[in-house]
Amino acid sequence: MLRARVASGAKAASLAALAVLLLSVIVGCAPSAPPSASAVTTPASPRPAPKPEAIPDVPRTSASLAERPALSAPAPVRLVIPDLGIDVPVEAVGLDDQGRMGLPANPAIAAWYRFGSAPASATGSTVIAAHVDSLVYDIGPFARLAGAAAGTRVEVTTADGAVHAYAFTSTAVVAKESVDWSAAFARDGDPRLTLVTCGGEFDYDARRYLSNVIVTAAPVT
Amino acid sequence: MKKILVAALGAGALVAFAGAAPATAASADNAMLSVLHGVPDLTVDVYVNGELTLDDFAPGDLAGPLELPAGTYTVAITAADAADASSPAIGPIDLPLEAGVNYTAVAHLSEAGDPTATLFTNDTTQIAAGQGRLTVRHVAAAPAVDVLAGGAPVITALANPQEAKLDLPAGTVSAAVAATGTTDPVLGPADVEVAEGANTIVYAWGSLEADNLELAVQTVAIAGMHSAPDSVPAGSAGLVATNGPDSGAPVWAAVIGGTLLAAIALIVGAARRRAAARAER
Repeated sequence: MLRARVASGAKAASLAALAVLLLSVIVGCAPSAPPSASAVTTPASPRPAPKPEAIPDVPRTSASLAERPALSAPAPVRLVIPDLGIDVPVEAVGLDDQGRMGLPANPAIAAWYRFGSAPASATGSTVIAAHVDSLVYDIGPFARLAGAAAGTRVEVTTADGAVHAYAFTSTAVVAKESVDWSAAFARDGDPRLTLVTCGGEFDYDARRYLSNVIVTAAPVT
Repeated sequence: MKKILVAALGAGALVAFAGAAPATAASADNAMLSVLHGVPDLTVDVYVNGELTLDDFAPGDLAGPLELPAGTYTVAITAADAADASSPAIGPIDLPLEAGVNYTAVAHLSEAGDPTATLFTNDTTQIAAGQGRLTVRHVAAAPAVDVLAGGAPVITALANPQEAKLDLPAGTVSAAVAATGTTDPVLGPADVEVAEGANTIVYAWGSLEADNLELAVQTVAIAGMHSAPDSVPAGSAGLVATNGPDSGAPVWAAVIGGTLLAAIALIVGAARRRAAARAER
């Protein structure tokens, strides 16, 4: 969502070429001697120099409200991790009334943070979380994340039917007060998947875990 | 059409524009600039520092964003068939662009209907999680207006070329524009999705008299503008805890133990009451 609408590949390539060309001009450019001097000496030339390439290729779009593109990419609807026996539906969620990510009570239903990136987003972290357990529903599938090895394959199916595959790159148990949530929920940087649940020690008085289990995964084919 | 353009690529805006890649975030040294064309029925060329930068720029179109070195850029807007920037329809105007700031320059009509241009600064300060920023800009040939959301005025007496903004829960807003003090829309109602963690900028442009008022929309989101949730509470039972309760037993044992204690207390209490009742006899 909200990505700058990027020029087409061809446009981007020509922009890049221009950038390289112009960068060399800037780098090598002494402020004196504008090279237009030669043009001045041939004012009568009947043939204009080829100019189209000199017009910058500035990206343009219609700003019409009616033509506004969709803000978000298709939502994840299913998450499968074959090696861990995880196959859960995914719901789109926002925040609870305390400003925390709001998860379904059932640990067997995962939650995607709908304000963040989605698997098809050009950049950023797709965050999918689930409760690790519940007194009502017992231990959930995400309890198996904590011990998983790097390279473990994850497949996320989105609402358009596409399947996005990832492989675990890291699994960490991080004390809740130390979690860098701005990194976990970042909307810039390489596309990636972040899985979150709870783990570590439990505070039996406050009824909460003291750590989050955070898995990061990178796209694979 | 193709304009006659200097062959030389000297330093200046053309270099800056051409070398700039589309981007969403201004680096510390650069500014971000978008350009919106809000003058009805007039395709134009845009010259920056004398160089043709936007050829055949059509009404309702948005160009950019471009990352530019901070500095002052002189912009002239001409009819699309002009040979150069010497007799602009709008300008020339100077745009002072500061490093790290996100701007939109808008070519539009004044309240009286004359072509003009305004440089707006887009608010990219951080937004609370779950919230989106809605900015409304009046760049139409029309008197002051109220902006209605769900039929109720949320912005009042907005005059050309002013803006008003508010942060509100992200989601779709049914927005309409009415003459100030009234609720009969001259524009809309239209559904506007206010994106979370971003500035959704709505422009009312065109001319009331010519009956061609329209809404344009721009979304500005830069890194660090949104906020993450405070935490992810993802467990409440302690069933997979790496520690146990004080006894070392898992929580279900504590629960069962607690239930047993309560049952014993009930039995003991009942026995005592019976004993007390016997004693009273």
